[in-house]
Order: sequence, then structure tokens, then C-alpha cells
Amino acid sequence: MSTPVTTKPAAAPATVKGGPGPAQRLTSYMPLIALAVLLAALTIADPEFLTQRSLTAASRTAAPLIVLAAGATLVVLCGGIDLSIAALASVSTVFLALWLPELGALATPAVILVAAAIGALQGVAHVLLRIPSFIVTLGGMSIFSAVALVVSDAGTVRVVDDSTIAWLDLYVGGYVPMSLTVAVIVVVLISVVLKVTPLHSWISATGYSESAARLAGTPVDLVKIGAFCVSGACAGLAAVMLVSRQFSGSPTMADNLLLPAVAAIVVGGTAITGGHGSVWRSLAGALVVTLLRVGLPIVGVPSAYEQILYGAIIVAAVALTLDRSKVLIIK
Amino acid sequence: MSWRDAGPPAALVVIFVVFAALSSQFRSIDNVQNIMDAAAVLAVVTCGITFVLMMGSIDLSAAGVMGASALTVSLLVANNRNDNDLGILAIGVAVLVGAGFGCVSGLALVFLKVPSFMATLGVSAVGLGVATLMFAGVQPNISDAMLKSWAIERFLGFSHLTWIAAACLVVGWLIQRYTRLGRYAFAIGGAEEVLTLSGVRVQPYKIAVFTLAGAFYGLGGVMVTSQLGAGLVQAGDGYDFSAITAAVVGGTLLTGGRGGVLHSAVGVLLVVVLTNGLVQVGVSPYWQGGVQGLIVVAAVAAAVIPQRRRNQVVK
Amino acid sequence: MSVHVDQEPTTSVPVPVPALEVRGLVKHYPGVKALDGVDLVVRQHEVLGLAGENGAGKSTLLKALVGLVRPDAGEIYVRGEPVKLRSVVEAANHGIGMVFQEQSLVPNLTAAENIVLGSEGIAVRRGLYRWNAMRRLAQEQLDKIGSSIDPLARTDTLSFADRQMVEIAKVLRIEERSQHPPVIILDEPTSVLESKEIETLFEQIRRLREFASVVFVSHRLDEVLDVCDRVTVLRGGQSVGEVATAGAVPGELHRMMIGSSGSDDHYHGNAAAPVLAEQPRLSVRGLSGKSFRDVDLDVAAGEIVAIVGVHGSGREDVCRALFGAEPTTAGEILMDGKKLELPGTRAACAAGIGYVPAERKTEGMVGPMSVAENMTLTKQKARCSGPLVAPKKQATLVDSWISRLSIRTPGRDTAIQRLSGGNQQKVVLARWLVGGDIKLLLLDHPTRGLDIGARSEVYRLMRELAGSGVATVLLADSLEEAIGMADRILVMNDGRVAAEVACPNGGKPSPLDLVKEMV
Repeated sequence: MSTPVTTKPAAAPATVKGGPGPAQRLTSYMPLIALAVLLAALTIADPEFLTQRSLTAASRTAAPLIVLAAGATLVVLCGGIDLSIAALASVSTVFLALWLPELGALATPAVILVAAAIGALQGVAHVLLRIPSFIVTLGGMSIFSAVALVVSDAGTVRVVDDSTIAWLDLYVGGYVPMSLTVAVIVVVLISVVLKVTPLHSWISATGYSESAARLAGTPVDLVKIGAFCVSGACAGLAAVMLVSRQFSGSPTMADNLLLPAVAAIVVGGTAITGGHGSVWRSLAGALVVTLLRVGLPIVGVPSAYEQILYGAIIVAAVALTLDRSKVLIIK
Repeated sequence: MSWRDAGPPAALVVIFVVFAALSSQFRSIDNVQNIMDAAAVLAVVTCGITFVLMMGSIDLSAAGVMGASALTVSLLVANNRNDNDLGILAIGVAVLVGAGFGCVSGLALVFLKVPSFMATLGVSAVGLGVATLMFAGVQPNISDAMLKSWAIERFLGFSHLTWIAAACLVVGWLIQRYTRLGRYAFAIGGAEEVLTLSGVRVQPYKIAVFTLAGAFYGLGGVMVTSQLGAGLVQAGDGYDFSAITAAVVGGTLLTGGRGGVLHSAVGVLLVVVLTNGLVQVGVSPYWQGGVQGLIVVAAVAAAVIPQRRRNQVVK
Repeated sequence: MSVHVDQEPTTSVPVPVPALEVRGLVKHYPGVKALDGVDLVVRQHEVLGLAGENGAGKSTLLKALVGLVRPDAGEIYVRGEPVKLRSVVEAANHGIGMVFQEQSLVPNLTAAENIVLGSEGIAVRRGLYRWNAMRRLAQEQLDKIGSSIDPLARTDTLSFADRQMVEIAKVLRIEERSQHPPVIILDEPTSVLESKEIETLFEQIRRLREFASVVFVSHRLDEVLDVCDRVTVLRGGQSVGEVATAGAVPGELHRMMIGSSGSDDHYHGNAAAPVLAEQPRLSVRGLSGKSFRDVDLDVAAGEIVAIVGVHGSGREDVCRALFGAEPTTAGEILMDGKKLELPGTRAACAAGIGYVPAERKTEGMVGPMSVAENMTLTKQKARCSGPLVAPKKQATLVDSWISRLSIRTPGRDTAIQRLSGGNQQKVVLARWLVGGDIKLLLLDHPTRGLDIGARSEVYRLMRELAGSGVATVLLADSLEEAIGMADRILVMNDGRVAAEVACPNGGKPSPLDLVKEMV
């Protein structure tokens, strides 16, 4: 159909408001600034820090965190939250350790697929039952922990033959840990897929304004389920990384990664209200969190402060990046 | 009386009867006492969280706050780490510490406009960190006679902890019924914008509700310390989620404006009877959390069904 | 009947100072002048009616009177004293209170608590409730208006009419704050009431006059004339006249609300007569839902059908149901003779149906996203080759529509929220056109909040689209808009189609013909 529309221009003002304010610009570079400042501070505090060995160690710690945060970022971009990622990763480490002897190389994809399916299931529960995402994933968290405890009989499952996952411990070019490379590949993959397909529009629209997205015919429900599915898959991949490093699976192995992962997402500048943000930001956020983690002992702060720092960071970063215009009443 | 009010007590009776029929162990006097004792701490924590849920907010900080208050009380009463022996005063300080953390959550919500689930997640982490700092690698074992006796000595068949919990429920109910704070918490969950329109400044009440909840968690931490005989960072592990489960199962809506302390008391008994009963009939205790996860999702879904609309935004 | 338009007072008898007076109130919103120098006088112990079409500025004026909106210019006088009203509380302190259209009661509190809310006085001492005192206070208030509601009943268990009584009892609490007779504003209090309840309400209003001044706002002009002493008519953000109600008829009022000029723009008529094939493009039979019953509707290709009706007539929900955004309980929807199942909005989009929601900012567009993304949000295929977005294809497509619709934007990548309202609306409309497969457009108040220039552009666009064969369902912002644009008008009343009025060029019905069926 050709629509012969030739409306004459009217004397309407072209634009109303100006561009982003200085505060907005500052927060959008926040993760990079924080990263630079931290690196500089740590180097001053300990000149040894900028050596290949300690950087390698830091980046190996960062890899599972990056993957976890990248997956959960998609859920946050849709306007929800996934509190189950750490527990899902923990139960995945148990599955992997149990399945490795029998499935061998197939255990890795199997674990990732199962984790993806579990994530999707949470998404379906959220969408179909109309339960807020934080309560679905909070419920999921305790269910996964229970399953992990039962399956592992509340103990560590040792991996005797890790030959099929040992490749994650290799180094690319002799310096860059394979796990970090994989983590970066995941981030690149997600962001490229989003960029070249309509998915980016759909996710942003869902996150910024779900009702507008729905009334524009966006597949809001599918997008959300997909986000939870990817988040689950990433938790599975993070579990593989953890097992390859620890040579074992345990029902609580990844539990302490929930706060750092949430902190990474919000420090990166992804708004908890949805829409605004990216997986790249979460990568930067994860690096910031990792530097804080390895840096605290270097500057002589007891590691007990780590938790306090995460808590403070989460509150502060959410406060800075929140889209206040969207929520009139904040509960 | 709607099914929503009648449902949880009915479910409690049914579950109790079913387990009693299945297991002779379950229906023993000893086990009933166990159930009541096990419900004590959860009841106190749930009492606090109920006020937050009534407003339509959420509180994930119980675990951290309880850890901090547990360490506070164990280091202030007679213990093996230092020479403090403040007795009842220490308990007061621990409750105040809890209230302080709650106040911080409320301030973050009101002034920084951080959604409560994020603010309290952060405060929980801070609480755990503070507890870890106080723990300092050496477990403080308490030797304070009074605090230890709470968990051991019984009055009319129930431990002192159970009576404390009962007293908390009564106090909670009085607050809910007879104070402006309690009624406004209820009203904020019902229609916050109307309160504002009527010239009520809701912010102070929100902060006060979180502070009140924090005080209850603080007392919960003290009670756990009495049970364990020592102050542990993990004192509150799992209580945050169990309390939300209990409140929701009791009929408090996550969207606010419905439910209350008495509903939550029924919810606490439901959760405790269910977990105790499952163990008695031979289910692995590891499933405990999983069962709670399932029932909270089911309870929320059941509560949401009657009000579903197309095009509704659920985050 | 006597009609005074902009007349200077000529009497020399000293007039008692008015309870409330408004002079030259101005309020701008981006792109619109909601109030353009309104004058209003509320005398002591009178019931003043406020009439005006949608968008005439009524609600903005009322909000300014209770401190919810701060005017850009102008003065408000209470008993001759100039006042600044910055909040509901300040307005209450000056004795001005309002019963809001969407009821402002907390549903899960008791009636008594709602009545004393915000000014509990002796009912709460040091934060502690004294239920007996509260009940007494509330009972006093309810006695004033002769209501027999149990003060301790939970508000959400009361009937709608009883809740309205509670609202009035609550508003009357402002007497405690100011020594003078209060001014009570009632905003559309009758819109959801049954006729018997309305009669009771009117008795209350007449009783209120004994000790207060009342401002009464309603869509139903017969009611306004029935209960008020005097009516002030608003149009385009200005007060255009004043009518003493004794002997007046609704027709006179309505003429003032519409005005004699300004409508010529709409009456150009459609470029081409609609193609009336034997089969209508859209055919709806017996459609029923939560707020509408048994709706039949036919729209031919190239035809514009307007649905008119008062607030609560159910027309908005019919529109959303046709887009799959509102569930239906019975009836069928046929597109070109084929039955349509609409479980959700996706199915409607796939069937070539487009919907422009009334709430542009929250439902129509995604503010922070770019013009290009907003325009291609629905018809992704139009900017993709295969599953991938083709940036060049998108750029060409979007730029061509920006120029075809003369959308004024710095570029296709500008966030849509930075455009003016009219240009935003054109982008939202373009969203349904870029696919080239649009068959039926559902326009829910497409010109709401737009200035005159932007409005006429949207009208022109609607006509172009109709001329090219698109079937259109229009929920117009005003009756004159419906009459000017439509080929046919359906009047909805209380969830049912009450009448169908042909609206051809040269034979347009008058607004009064429609109003008769609406109320």
C-alpha cells in the first residue's frame, strides 16, 4: 500500500528539552572513571600490583562474576531483577561435578542448557503468574539451594578427572586467562546479537515502558522469558568456570557472588528501573568490583569491609542511576 | 470474612491434622513444644517484616541485621572475648543496633529513593560486614545466665523464647491497631497518594516502620544468640526469606494494604508446622528452603490471580 | 433566562465579598496553554456550576484551587484576601476542599479514619489511637450531612454513593481549620452514581449551601442546571460566560461551551467518500467485556467512525478490546469477513490493526528511545533484512517518513521525548504506517494535549489515510472534533451503543443531537 501523505509543515517548535545534563553524563562514564581511579590508586599503594601475575590472578577471579553479571543485566534491562543467579550457579557446580564422570565433555553444555531451562522456567512463572520478578527469583534461590544440598548431600563433590573442563584454565597467548577470554566473548556475543537484531529495541522498550511496548505489539512476555533464560545460561557457564578453578562442586560455592554481581550491574550504570544500560557497563562494573575485592587487602583494609562496601555501593549506585521520572511512588 | 482471612488458619488445621495422622512422633507433646520453640524467632522477625510488607515495601535485610545484633549482644553480655557484663542493657543495645540498621534502610528509601528491595539488600550486606568485623575470627561464647536461660528454661511447658515471641506479637498487634504508625503503615499500602493528598507526610512514617522492623530483627538476633550460646555472623541466615514466606502465606499481600501481625502469626505456624512435619515423615531437612520457596511463589500467585488484568505491568 | 457575557458589574449596592475569586489565572504545559487568564467568582452560600468541554481547563483550574497546580500567573483571593496555595493543606487552611473525581479515600481504612485523615485532632493523642473519640468525631461529620453510615465500617465495604458521603464528610473537616464558611469543590461527583443516589447527593449539596459555598462540576448539563444557582462556562482555558440557571436550558450552555467559531477547520469533509463495498473492513458483533455490552460496529475501508460518550461510557475499553489489550467475554470481530482472535496485542498488529493510545507519554511512545526506534518498534520487518537490522534500510525508511509527515526533529536518532507533542504523535502514527499493511487504525484521543497547529496536522493526516483506504475508529477529544472528522458517529451510553448518527458532508448533526443520547 502506498500512502499518499503530504502534510504541510506547521509552526510547531522542533524540540522542547535540551540534551543530557552534566550529572547524567558523569554517571554514564562512572564505571570507567571508577576503574581508572581504582587502578591508579592500587598501583600507587602497591607498585607490584601492575605486574602480569597479579593482574592475571585478578582477571581469573573476575571471569565468573562478569558472566553472572552480564546475564542478569538483561533481566535488569527488562525492568526486573534476578536474585537467583548465585544459587543457580551453585547448584550448577554440583550438577557439573556429578555429571563429569559420565558425560565427560558433554557435561558442560548439559549444565548450561539445564541452567538456561531453569532460568526460562522462572521467566515463565514471572510472566504467566504475574509474580514480581524479585519474589520469583527469591523463591528460586531457596529452591535451588535446597536442590543443591539434597543432590550433593550437603557436601563438596570432588572432580577427579577435570580434563574436559581444564581448557578454561589455559592462557591465551600465555598471559590472558581462557576464562576471562570466554567471559569477554560472552559479553561481545550478547551485545552484538542485541545490536544487530530487533532485540535491543524490544528489551529497551520493555524496560523503559512496558505498557507502551505492549501496546506497540512488542513480544514483551517472550522477551522477558528470554532474558531470564540467558541469565540462567550465564549462571551455568559461571558454574563451569568455578568448577574448573576449584576442581570441585559445592552447594554454596557461588552463593557469595550474588551481591558482587548485583553491585557490578548497578555500578556499571544500568538503571534498576529498566531500559537504560548495557552488558558492557556490567563488564566494567564487574572489573570495578573485582579490583575493590583484590585491592582492599593491598591497601590494608580487612576483608570484612568487603561486604560493607558492596552494601554501600549498591545503595549509592542505584540512587545515582535510578530513573526517578518513571516511578512516582517508590516502595 | 473472606477466604483470604479464613484460608490460612484452615490450612494450618488441615496440615496439622494430616501430619498428626501420618506420624506419631509429630503429635507428641515434645514435638509440639519443639514447634513452638522453633517458631519463636521466626515469629519475632515476621512481626517486624509484616509492617514493611503492609506498606507495600519489602525487606531483605533481616539476615544482616540479625547477624550484627547477635554479635553486639554476645560481646556486651558476659562472654569469653572481653570483660563486658551489661546483662539486660546489652539486649537493649542490640535491639537499638537493629533499629539503627532499619532506620538506614528507611532513609535510603525515602531520601535516596532507592527501591526498598535494593536498599535492604545493601543494608543486609553492611550488617553482615559489621558482624564479621565484630566477630574478628574468634567466636564469642556467652556465659550470661539470663540470656542462656531464655532458650532452656520453660514456663507452662514453653521456653522463655516462646513467651517473648508471644509478647512481641501482642505488642505488634497493639501497634498495628492502636497507633498512628501502625494504621498509617496499613494506609500507605492501601493508597499512599491519598495520604499525601490529605496532607499527611508519609516519609517519617516509612522511616519509622523500617526502624521498627529493624528493632524486631535485632531482638530476633538476640534470641538466636540465646539459642546458640554464641554470637555468629550467620545468626540470621535464611530468616529473611522465611519471614517473607510466613507473612505472605499468612495472607499479607506483597502489594501492601492487607494482612497484619495476627495473619503473620498464623503464617509462621504454617511454615514451621510444615517444615517440622516434613522432617517427621522422613523428608530430608535440606528440602526445608525449597518447600518455602515453592509455597511463597504459590501463595503470591494465588493472591495475584483475582486481580489480574491484561496489560498489567509486573516488574 | 439571562445570559451575561463578560459583563461589568453595574450595581451600586454593596455586594458581599466573594468566598473565592480567581483573576487572570494562567497555566502553561509544554505545548499547551491549559489556563489562559481564567476569571471565576464564587459567592458566599451559592452553588456555582463549572461547565466546559474536555480540555477547556476545568481540571487544571480545580487543581490550582486546591494547591495541586501552581499557576504561572494570576491571583486567587479568599474572602478578598490574596492567597498563595501551595498544597492541599494550605488550601484546606483557607477553607477550600475538594471531592476528587477518582475518589480519594484509603480503601482499607475505616470510614472514620478517612474522615479525620490528616487532621485527627483529639482522635489521636501522642500517636495513640482513641477509637471512641475518632468514632465520635466522624459521627459528628456524618450527622452534618445526615448520613447513617457506620463510622467504623471499612471503606471498601461501602457502596459507591456511601463512599461519596464519606468524602464529603471528610472535606467538611476543613471547617475545623478555618473559622469561615468553607468552599467545597465537587469534581464530577455524579459520573458513577445511580439516579436515586444522585438525588440524595443533590439534597446534600443544597444542604451544604446553608453553611458553605459549593463549586459543582459535571459533564451532565441538566444536572448542572438542576442543582446550581449560577454557571460559569470555560472554553480554551478562559471563562467565556456566566449563566443564571433559573429558566436556562442545556442548549444555551452547550452553545457557549462549544463556541461559534473555531470549528470550521474540522468541517472540510473527507477527501474522498468512503469505499462502501458490500463487505465492511471491520465488523464487530455483540462484543461484550467488563465495561461494555453487546456492541455492534461496522467500519468500511476509508471510513472514519467516531465513538462518543461521557466518562464511563465504556468507549475506551471497546477501543482497547479491538486491539486485544482488553479481554472480551462474548462477541466476534471480523476483519474483511474473516474472524479474528485477539488474545493479545501481537495478534492485532499482525492483522493490520494499529492503536494510538490516549496517554501518549506513558503508553504511546517510549520516551528515551530514538525517533527511529519508536517508529519501527512494531513493524520490525520494515527495517530488517532477514533477522538482522539493516541500518541503511532503517535510515532510508525513517527519513522518508520524517519528511512525508513533516516531523520536526533534529534527526532520526533524537530521543522522542525531546520532540514537541505534535511531532511525537506523528511518530507514533508513523509506527503503524511504515509496514505498509495498516488496515484499521484505532485512535484514542489522538489530539489530546496538542496545540491548534499540531491538531490540524493530525486531522489532515487522518483524512489522507482514510483517503487511501484505511478504516478508522476515532475516540475524539471533543464533540466538535468527532462531528468534523467522522463519516458516522456511534453514541455510547453506559456500555451500550445508544445511537448511530450519520455524519456526511453537508449533513452534519449538531452537538446537541449527540448530547441527547449521551446522558
